[in-house]
Amino acid sequence: MEVEEGGVPLDEKARRMRDLLSSFYSPDHSASAASLPRNTSSRFATLDTINTTAFDADQYMNLLVQKSNVEGLLQKHVEMAAEIKNLDTDLQMLVYENYNKFISATDTIKRMKNNIVGMETNMEQLLEKITSVQLRSDGVNTSLFERREHIEKLHRTRNLLRKVQFIYDLPTRLEKCIKSEAYAEAVKLYTGATPIFKAYGDSSFQDCKRASEEAVTIIIKKLQGKVFSDSESIQSRAEAVMLLKQLDFPVENLKVKLFEKLEQFLVDLNLESKELTRASIDASIREFAKAIRAYKVIFLHSEPQLSKLAQDLVKKHFEATHLRIMKQVYSGDLLAMLRLIWTDVLLMDEVLPEASLPDCALQYAHVAVRDYISSAFGRLLRYISDSLMTAQFTPKEGIEEEHSLQTALDAGKKAVTQGSTDALLDFRQLLDQETELLFRLRDLTIDWVQEGFRDFFKKLDGYFLLLSGKGNTTSEDVNLTEMPGDKIAAGLVLVLAQFSIFVEQIATLEYPRQELASFASGGGVRDYGHGSVLVPAEICPIFRTSGETFLHLYIKMRTQKISVLLKKRFTAPNWVKHKEPREVHMFVDMLLQEFKEIGTEVKQLLPQSLHHKHRRTNSNGSTASSRSSTLRDDKLSRSNIQKARSQLLESHLAKLFKQKMEIFTKLEHTQESVITTIVKLSLKSLQELVRLQTFNRSGFQQIQLDIHFLKATIKDIAEDEAAVDFLLDEVIVSTAERCLDPIPLEPPVLDRLVQAKLPKTSEQNPIS
Amino acid sequence: MQGGSTGIGYGLKYQARCISDVKADTDHTSFLAGTLSLKEENEVHLLRLSSGGTELICEGLFSHPNEIWDLASCPFDQRIFSTVFSSGETYGAAVWQIPELYGQLSSPQLESVASLDGHTCKIRCVLWWPTGRHDKLVSVDEQNLFLWSLDTSKKTAQVQSQESAGMLHYLTGGAWDPHDSNSISLTCDSSVQFWDLRTMKKTNSIEHAHVRNVDYDMKKRYTLVTAEDESGIHIWDLRNLKFPVADLPGHPHWTWTVKCNPVYEGLILSAGTDSAVNLWLASSLGRNDSASDSLAAPPTRRIEPLLNSYNDYEDSVYGLAWSSREPWIFASLSYDGRCGLWREQKMSDFGFLVHRQKICVVEGPRGGHFNQERRVISCLTLFIEQWKTLRHVSAINDLDVKA
Repeated sequence: MEVEEGGVPLDEKARRMRDLLSSFYSPDHSASAASLPRNTSSRFATLDTINTTAFDADQYMNLLVQKSNVEGLLQKHVEMAAEIKNLDTDLQMLVYENYNKFISATDTIKRMKNNIVGMETNMEQLLEKITSVQLRSDGVNTSLFERREHIEKLHRTRNLLRKVQFIYDLPTRLEKCIKSEAYAEAVKLYTGATPIFKAYGDSSFQDCKRASEEAVTIIIKKLQGKVFSDSESIQSRAEAVMLLKQLDFPVENLKVKLFEKLEQFLVDLNLESKELTRASIDASIREFAKAIRAYKVIFLHSEPQLSKLAQDLVKKHFEATHLRIMKQVYSGDLLAMLRLIWTDVLLMDEVLPEASLPDCALQYAHVAVRDYISSAFGRLLRYISDSLMTAQFTPKEGIEEEHSLQTALDAGKKAVTQGSTDALLDFRQLLDQETELLFRLRDLTIDWVQEGFRDFFKKLDGYFLLLSGKGNTTSEDVNLTEMPGDKIAAGLVLVLAQFSIFVEQIATLEYPRQELASFASGGGVRDYGHGSVLVPAEICPIFRTSGETFLHLYIKMRTQKISVLLKKRFTAPNWVKHKEPREVHMFVDMLLQEFKEIGTEVKQLLPQSLHHKHRRTNSNGSTASSRSSTLRDDKLSRSNIQKARSQLLESHLAKLFKQKMEIFTKLEHTQESVITTIVKLSLKSLQELVRLQTFNRSGFQQIQLDIHFLKATIKDIAEDEAAVDFLLDEVIVSTAERCLDPIPLEPPVLDRLVQAKLPKTSEQNPIS
Repeated sequence: MQGGSTGIGYGLKYQARCISDVKADTDHTSFLAGTLSLKEENEVHLLRLSSGGTELICEGLFSHPNEIWDLASCPFDQRIFSTVFSSGETYGAAVWQIPELYGQLSSPQLESVASLDGHTCKIRCVLWWPTGRHDKLVSVDEQNLFLWSLDTSKKTAQVQSQESAGMLHYLTGGAWDPHDSNSISLTCDSSVQFWDLRTMKKTNSIEHAHVRNVDYDMKKRYTLVTAEDESGIHIWDLRNLKFPVADLPGHPHWTWTVKCNPVYEGLILSAGTDSAVNLWLASSLGRNDSASDSLAAPPTRRIEPLLNSYNDYEDSVYGLAWSSREPWIFASLSYDGRCGLWREQKMSDFGFLVHRQKICVVEGPRGGHFNQERRVISCLTLFIEQWKTLRHVSAINDLDVKA
């Protein structure tokens, strides 16, 4: 190691390294290196240095003298004398031992020298003998060389000749093989000869080559025929293909052709035609499966293609199914179709497990079943809307039309209950099947059906909204052109409102839940909470809100019409120059007529309120209103200007003693609520319109008369008497406020005019 | 006078329909309100929010010859405003100037700047040039549209042009587009018409719309808000007038007026004959056509556009005005002459409101809008106020207060 390191130029690091190493390996060096500092320090140090190499006697002496007393020195002296004596004897012993060893070594060397002298002559003899042997062997070798050369040449010629013979015999041998159909051997022979033909085919063996090639083409043809013939055993066909491959025949072509044949078969397989019985399809599939199996054996590594083919078959099947689903099919048919497909798939799966046909079929079945479910729901939706609409838009006349609202609602209700039950039963059939395909899909099917129901109801709601949106615009148009046809639209909206409520009810009620519960438990694989089946929590609010929306829309449409009527009444005449009232104005008749129409519509569809007594007390006691009205009458009778000045003050006072009239109470799905709301809104409109006009005394009296008459008649129509009275009073008060000279008609005159009108209307009513 | 000093709800003496923000007053939040009394002397009240923001002070009370059906404040001079008035069969429109004598409350006379004569039928409204100093003024009567050139210094007004909307269309009101001052929208019986003031021709219209009131969004161009005849509020994009962009439910009865906030986009106030004022936020509806989209979108997903409803009114609310100086304050005027000032405190999250606080109302238990006790108190206070006034004005002393 040190040499190595010495060879290279030493840098600082290397040197340090070497020092380190040498200090480790050589004790001398390290002793000299380490002793230097120790020497310097030993002056102050101990007496132990006596055993080291760097022992300084004087120093030691000094130290000893300094450190010890006389007694100690004497003792030390005795110790040291003893030690010196010991060391001397040890040294003597060592010298003796070493000397003995040295004497024995010299003896051994002397003996060796004597032995070696005798060996040298023996060796010389041996060398002589070996050289003579070598000479002899060289002689033998040279004498035999020529002959050996000759023999080798002859041997080569013979091999060549044998090959030529083989080539010349090849055609005949091939012929023989063809005859005996030993194609394998023929191919073997031919392939053996091909390298020679390649090398010399153009010159020496032309004829031979041609002949054998002819024979080979025959063989190829025969082999091809064999491959294509279905009657041959699959084994032999596979062999033929192997041979063809060896003959460098383009096997791919063959493969493609055969594959095309399979594809053709698939195309011919007409699944859509209904005449094809199940058996015939079955048979053809069986055949197809056989062909596939053969193909698979014949052409190795052809699985991907075949898988694709098989999947195509399944796809085709399902396409046919899809078409039929589109056309409307019941679950029975669907089941039959699926079952058929499944058997086919199983058949194919035996042959071609690589194609993973069941999975593929499962996927398609997914789609098919989902399609089926969605189409079933789609049909249901159409069915319901049709049943709602047809009854609605068929033009009927008079009373028939009024009944049509009822029938439409009934039809709609029936459609939704019946339709959904049917759909459920239909879906149940799907679940009850033991077919593996459907069995695997069972969970999903349950999910889908649930989802389908959700979507169905959502769509239904959306459809209704759309319908009502349309109805809204058309009715506006109708209002403009004053056509009587808007009634249908308004009625329809009411029907929709009621229908929405109905749906909300059935969504929560027993029946569909029962069905669905059995449906879910029929699935039974997973533990579905039955509540989640139709999700009333989700569906109900939607329908509740839309039911309310429709009801509001209905009221809106109706009040709009009435307010047009009222607006005409109030904008047309010049109220400041109004003439003395002679009779109740005819707008009251029209108003009442409107109310009546609404009443008939509403009564057909909406249920009666269960608690109208409660509702009466709900908004206000009639005592309060009567008190306020007497107050008003009192007020009105005064013509004092100063009193009129405090009119507003008094009306405030009146309000002070009355609870604020809740005119716009919450709407309910009852006849009374709807009619009352419409009446209230109309009266409020009346009040607002009055406030925009200025009246003279006669105008005021006319309004007073009209309202008085309304008060008498409207009680039969509206429920919330207190609110209606209040509103009617408000109209009169507003008129008085807007009147230049508010002197009311005398009550007798008022009564007389009203009485004159009353029989007329009662006469009219039975006629209309 | 009475309302401001006692710190309670401000009451006009008589019934009233119109209130207007005094836009030109940049130092105070002020409003002008006009009464509608058939038999009494009508008044115009100049109201001002006190510096503390807790009181509504009457700064001026001016008598007006006829009942006021429309009132609009001049956008560039806080002392000038216009009224539309009628009494019985007479009608008219005029531009007035508030006299300099502030503090003297005993019904000083208004100085007439100009009388907008020439109308042949009932006048509906007067519209000022939307922003800034301009001499143009539009008045609308039942059938005609007048464009006036007003000179406030010379106190003259001349008809620049005039056009009839046709006999069949009963005009009811209008609004001046703040983004395009050549464009004006007029409401009539069954449509909204858009007129170009340069050519005085109808340019466009929304057909089959029974609109009571229109207002332009101050911030967003091409946005028009209409109050439909029966309840609903529609928001239109002026570039596509076939369908409204959005729909708001409006009021149970008529939606009388709509007012867009001058600063915050999509913030709409509506007042209705159901004695309520509703505050809507329309921008949350988004741009998508909610009318046709409602099929796909579940109704639960929509955000409730109604931010607040103010129900403390005894009668129908006809007058409504945002303050342009403090756009979170608005004034409302109900038919019984009660003027309420409301403040919507800004919310940092949306830039909009959470805390709603009515100021200048009766001190009492908050919440419970139909609190009987509170109503009685408010009525009594109003009663006492009016009684005081009556005692001052006329000589009726025999009313029993304790009744």
